[in-house]
Amino acid sequence: MKRSSKHISLAVILGVSLFLFSCKKEFLSVVPPTSLTPEQALSTEADLQVALRGAYQGLRTGVTSYTADMYGRSIPILGDLLADNTYQSTQNTNRYTLHNNFTFNVTDGNSMGIWSGCYSVILRTNNIINSAIASNANVDQYKGEAHAIRALAYFTLIRFFSRPYTDAPTGQGVPIITTYDPSAKPGRSSIAEVYTLINDDLNKAYSLLTKFTNSSQFNKYAAKALHAKVYLTMGDLANARTAALDVINNGGFSPLTTANHAGYWANSAITTSKLETIFEVSSDAVGNLSFDALSYLYSQAGNYGDMLCADDLYALYEAGDVRRALYPTGTRGGLPSVFINKYPVITGDVSDTKVLRLSEMYLIAAEASLPANETDARTYVNFVTSRRGASPITSTGSQLLEDIIRERRKELAFEGDRYFDLMRLKRTVQRSTNYPATARSITYDNYRRILPIPQIETDANPTIKGQQNPGY
Amino acid sequence: MRKFVLLCCTFLLGLTAIAQNRTITGKVVDRDNNKIANASIQIKGTNTGTSANADGQFTLTIPATAKILVVSAVGYADREITLTNNNNYTVQIDPAVSNLEEVVVIGYGTARKADVTGSIASVKAPDIENRPFSSVDRVLQGKVAGLQSVSPNGLPGGNQQILIRGVSSITASTQPLWVIDGVPVNSGDVSRLAITNGTNLLSTLNPNDIEDITVLKDAASQSIYGSRAANGVILVTTKKGRSGKMRFRFDSEVGQSDIAYVNDRYRPLNAQEYLDLTREGLTNLGATTAQINSTLTSLGLGNGIDFDWYNSTARKGTQQQYNLSAEGGNEKTSFFVSAGRFIQDGTTINSRMTRNSGNIRINSKPTDRISFGVNLNGGVVSGRSPLNGGSFGNPVLSSYFQLPTRSAYNADGTFNISNLGGLHNTVFLSEVDKRFNRQVSLRGSLTGEYKILDNLRFKTAYGVDYNTFEEDQYNNPLHGDGLASNGRAFGYYTRYFNWVWTNTLDYKQKITKNGDLSANVQLGYESQKSDGYFISVQSQDFPPTTALIYPSAGARPTTASATITEYTFLSQFASTSVNYKNKYVASGSFRRDGSSRFGANNRYGNFWSVGATWNVDKEKFMEKIDFISQLKLRSSYGVNGNAGIGNYDALPLYGFGFNYNQQPGSAPTNVGDPNLTWELNKPFNVGIDIGLLKNKITITADYYIRKSENLLLDVPLSRTSGFGTATRNIGAMENRGIEFAISAAVMQKRNFKWDVDFNFANNKNIVTSLPGGADILSGAFVIRQGASINSFFQRIYAGVDPTNGNPLWYTDGTRKTTTNVYPPAAARALVGQSLPKYFGSLTNSLTFKNFVVTAQFYYNFGNQVYNTWGSYQLGAGFGATFNKVARILDRWQKPGDQTDIPRYVYNGNNNFQLASTAWMNNGDFIRLRDIQVGYNVDKKLLEKFGFTSANFYIRGTNLWTWVKDKDLPFDPEQGTTSSTNLNVFIPKTITVGLNIAF
Repeated sequence: MKRSSKHISLAVILGVSLFLFSCKKEFLSVVPPTSLTPEQALSTEADLQVALRGAYQGLRTGVTSYTADMYGRSIPILGDLLADNTYQSTQNTNRYTLHNNFTFNVTDGNSMGIWSGCYSVILRTNNIINSAIASNANVDQYKGEAHAIRALAYFTLIRFFSRPYTDAPTGQGVPIITTYDPSAKPGRSSIAEVYTLINDDLNKAYSLLTKFTNSSQFNKYAAKALHAKVYLTMGDLANARTAALDVINNGGFSPLTTANHAGYWANSAITTSKLETIFEVSSDAVGNLSFDALSYLYSQAGNYGDMLCADDLYALYEAGDVRRALYPTGTRGGLPSVFINKYPVITGDVSDTKVLRLSEMYLIAAEASLPANETDARTYVNFVTSRRGASPITSTGSQLLEDIIRERRKELAFEGDRYFDLMRLKRTVQRSTNYPATARSITYDNYRRILPIPQIETDANPTIKGQQNPGY
Repeated sequence: MRKFVLLCCTFLLGLTAIAQNRTITGKVVDRDNNKIANASIQIKGTNTGTSANADGQFTLTIPATAKILVVSAVGYADREITLTNNNNYTVQIDPAVSNLEEVVVIGYGTARKADVTGSIASVKAPDIENRPFSSVDRVLQGKVAGLQSVSPNGLPGGNQQILIRGVSSITASTQPLWVIDGVPVNSGDVSRLAITNGTNLLSTLNPNDIEDITVLKDAASQSIYGSRAANGVILVTTKKGRSGKMRFRFDSEVGQSDIAYVNDRYRPLNAQEYLDLTREGLTNLGATTAQINSTLTSLGLGNGIDFDWYNSTARKGTQQQYNLSAEGGNEKTSFFVSAGRFIQDGTTINSRMTRNSGNIRINSKPTDRISFGVNLNGGVVSGRSPLNGGSFGNPVLSSYFQLPTRSAYNADGTFNISNLGGLHNTVFLSEVDKRFNRQVSLRGSLTGEYKILDNLRFKTAYGVDYNTFEEDQYNNPLHGDGLASNGRAFGYYTRYFNWVWTNTLDYKQKITKNGDLSANVQLGYESQKSDGYFISVQSQDFPPTTALIYPSAGARPTTASATITEYTFLSQFASTSVNYKNKYVASGSFRRDGSSRFGANNRYGNFWSVGATWNVDKEKFMEKIDFISQLKLRSSYGVNGNAGIGNYDALPLYGFGFNYNQQPGSAPTNVGDPNLTWELNKPFNVGIDIGLLKNKITITADYYIRKSENLLLDVPLSRTSGFGTATRNIGAMENRGIEFAISAAVMQKRNFKWDVDFNFANNKNIVTSLPGGADILSGAFVIRQGASINSFFQRIYAGVDPTNGNPLWYTDGTRKTTTNVYPPAAARALVGQSLPKYFGSLTNSLTFKNFVVTAQFYYNFGNQVYNTWGSYQLGAGFGATFNKVARILDRWQKPGDQTDIPRYVYNGNNNFQLASTAWMNNGDFIRLRDIQVGYNVDKKLLEKFGFTSANFYIRGTNLWTWVKDKDLPFDPEQGTTSSTNLNVFIPKTITVGLNIAF
């Protein structure tokens, strides 16, 4: 009996200590090692700068599984492939086949990637813009850049997924998101409402921005340059001209010449020289898309090189035009081909994606000077031709507009611009025989001239389900 | 105790003098002639008996009236021996098939089978050992009713998916909790290198070291594991040493493997076939003769090459394993040690696994009250695995995609690395590029037990599970995935350390004096912490050679990261069972779990179960019904949980690494939810166990309903939020099913035995509630209220329009009208599920003299298989510069042709390639999973050489496969999503082996 009571007391001691052991709350509170809560991550001025870089990164690299679908590749590629500049070689890796053939559909992964990627960037910028951190020069600069990035994201969305503003501003735009609400199921705002937001953002950016950092970040005149492009796209020629001239006269950017043209395109690093580049999306030696990058799809030095220069575009470059040197000829898939060497760096500090250049400002000023001021128009367009070794443009009237549009095609080829030009001008995409016979003439009313709202969005968002682009 | 036995013997001896008794002697042995210690020998209908000693010897004095001896031992079936005039008996007893006294493994201990109220099933060592499978989860296929074990691929050491009683979660883990020797371990695929066939932590555990695998299937058995029990629990017990003379055992096998299922209709085309097809496609496209010729020339017309990529990347694999073990000990201490080596080469180049493993266990009982044990089990695995899916470096992809007009070799015999049409030369890459992994796993535990009172035991166990996983990848700078970065190499180090400390008190008490009513109570406390540590390195810009393969040779480091991840659990639990005369047993369990994974508002959860058993055969009225030897009814209900989500999913997060110009950047990475908590699983089970004709036939049948609520669900968000999904506790689903298993000793003659085992499981899954009742689309599937999870949701392909050869789809699920316009005209419909409606196995074992033949057939019916890459293999011209398969030769060519393959148009015909039922096939199959012919060498012969047993066998695995759908492109086993992904092919294997014991 005595012995068993000893055992019982031992048992009680063991039992009690067992249940008291390490009943600490901290044991169950583990802290994520590589992340912070949003409050922690956006609590200081310096945090905003870090978050701002995240927004720029989002312009380059899209969301998971769709990383190639932002400015790092799909946006510039589709801007030329959905038009008449670049086509898919018969020897290809099956990237963008459906766009080459104009047979893409609601399941199109690249449309999905652009949609998700742009809204991911919008979330990142919204969090900066809505931050309650007290205003100062740095905070204003970061918020100004965030406004400009958000404007670029909406401008990208509205041009891919909606009919142009020049068609009907009341048409279906894209959902406007300016605050974070993960459970929202927004419908589409009108095209005009989206452009109102873009204009507001760019006006705010212009007033908030004070610093020039480098070619891969927005500054005051980069915001203005984007605004010039937005106005041109809206058909607001007066404002487009004013904005473009503001950049030309006050931006402090220096022009490309025949002498430095080749070196300019060979360089893949960001610059602070203000030579030509107003804004570019940077790919660096670590942060790049590697074989999913734009350069890898164009360059013949790597394993892909799927995309070639259309014969009719190549024929537009005169013999003395320095731009012709960017397009060497050769054979691919057994066929004579024109290669694209605008993005030659496929390893290390991979070629950046140019978004806004000084030359485009001259071309916008030229186009926006019409029809009132043909002399100015010729002056501005020939500012470009004279620095490329091309013959000056001397035409008048409607031919002058055609010549300016053609000069845009030649100068801005493979920078993702041509498709948007043909959209805002409501023109048929007339493609060369390099393209499949079934996809050589895509009229403006073809429903595939704009991308489908991705099926994954219409599946998850009942409000937008009934607002799919007609035809899809 | 010894004194007591002595006393008994004296007493018995006293009896001897009174009645006219005689003394018999004997020994107790098992099937393999191993001596069985401590068996009980009793005269039937009396209390007279004795125990065998450590060598299995016994002596017993019996009265003249004694007619029958009953020999029993723990874990063995009782054997009755009719006494003859003979005074010496050798009694062979067999392992228990089903016996009330049998002890079974349960959560946190063992229990008499009679006391078990839950549904559990166990698999013993002989059914696990010496299989040509790289991990134990692969061995389990077909062994347990209701447990579905499917391979997504045939990679040696690759991952395996196990579902017990269906899928109960949409987003959270569906995999069971593995508990090895009492330690809930980390399991599954921990590889971090992109796009792989997967790896498997369990591949470090040698199946030959396992004594018992017990699968807990219902609330009464599972709920003691609380928040992690929802997908079932698999308890693995490794081998313990038996005391007595030192025993050695050596097992060895070697074999060869080949692709298990090959469909000739999916043979890649040869050069002539491809060029003819492409010419037709270009003509149909409207190309000019000049264009046709130049395109065909670029695709290899006239170059004279006809290279077989399929046979250059597929191969015959090899299989070897060797295992050696020793056991022994004295009355107080026993030990078991083993060592094993396993080498398997897969059926695709670049796939291989090698395992070296060791196991040591020592159990000691220095006094009556104290016992302790130490156990260490380690495995070192090294493997090579190719890429899978759509990676150009995937050899399986190149075997189907690469044109036969492009050779892996140049005319001079060097590798062709330039003229490959953008695809990669995987034959070259498998020589030069590296994808290695090395795993080291150590699982160990220290246990101590103190018997405070005869009926009160305290047990403490500290277990660890330590895994390191190293991955190396090298992509050369000359060709392939490394070209874009001038060569690149990755070095990934992953380490998981998991410790669990469990303390339990076990109390047994007779409630009534005579012991008719008794109770067992267990109280426990457990804490667990698992932390992971990851280092990732990548560098690029390598010297122009293929000899330097590690990141240190690269000039430009692009990844240099290290991080950790952690989770903790803190739990208290209690369980009890009350037994009345072995007739009625009631059980209950309760567990309170705290987990770091959940939101601060919902960190703790309570889980419980109740169960009851009625051993009908113990009732008086059953005594006369002789043919029923066992009849047991049982039922249980309870609540347990699923905590299988990411460690930080409850938190709204900003992540880093969104860098720009190599300066730090941040971005939102997780929506988070402070209310996030366990998914609840509420299983109801009712079952019956029947033994007929002295348990020659045993039947177990179960019916269950598992309701899952508060599902942890990745709810798709509008992408305009900036996120794709958020994890929420929302939705409900249900699994109902029947399981049935029968074992019959059909014939038991002296020289001929025939045993049959059959099991069957049917599971019906229904998603009963979703947020807002809305469908959730996910890839090829829809999650829809009222439908099964993993329901394929596709446009229905209606075949080819015979007039023009264009593809047709049905406009909707009614299949009444067709359209030649893919969406929007063709709407998606529910078109089958990826999980089988029923599956199971049939095993026949025949023993004739010294020969043993065993054959197990596994069957699976009622699911569909989706061919993810079918659009490239058959896409009517889509992906025209990739090779096609032979089925395309049946295509439409002229008006009137009746076929299901459309007209071939270069670059594609009317979106035929897009997702539809054209890429789906019926997944019904029957497979000869295992066939073995063995020969047991005669004992007398063996004894001359000092052996106790020896047998030789030849075994075939997956040798024969029947599929219902003759268009099924790849192996019918394609994981739980039943979708192909150009993985390493599942092998069929023939091995010959030898087991000897001495």
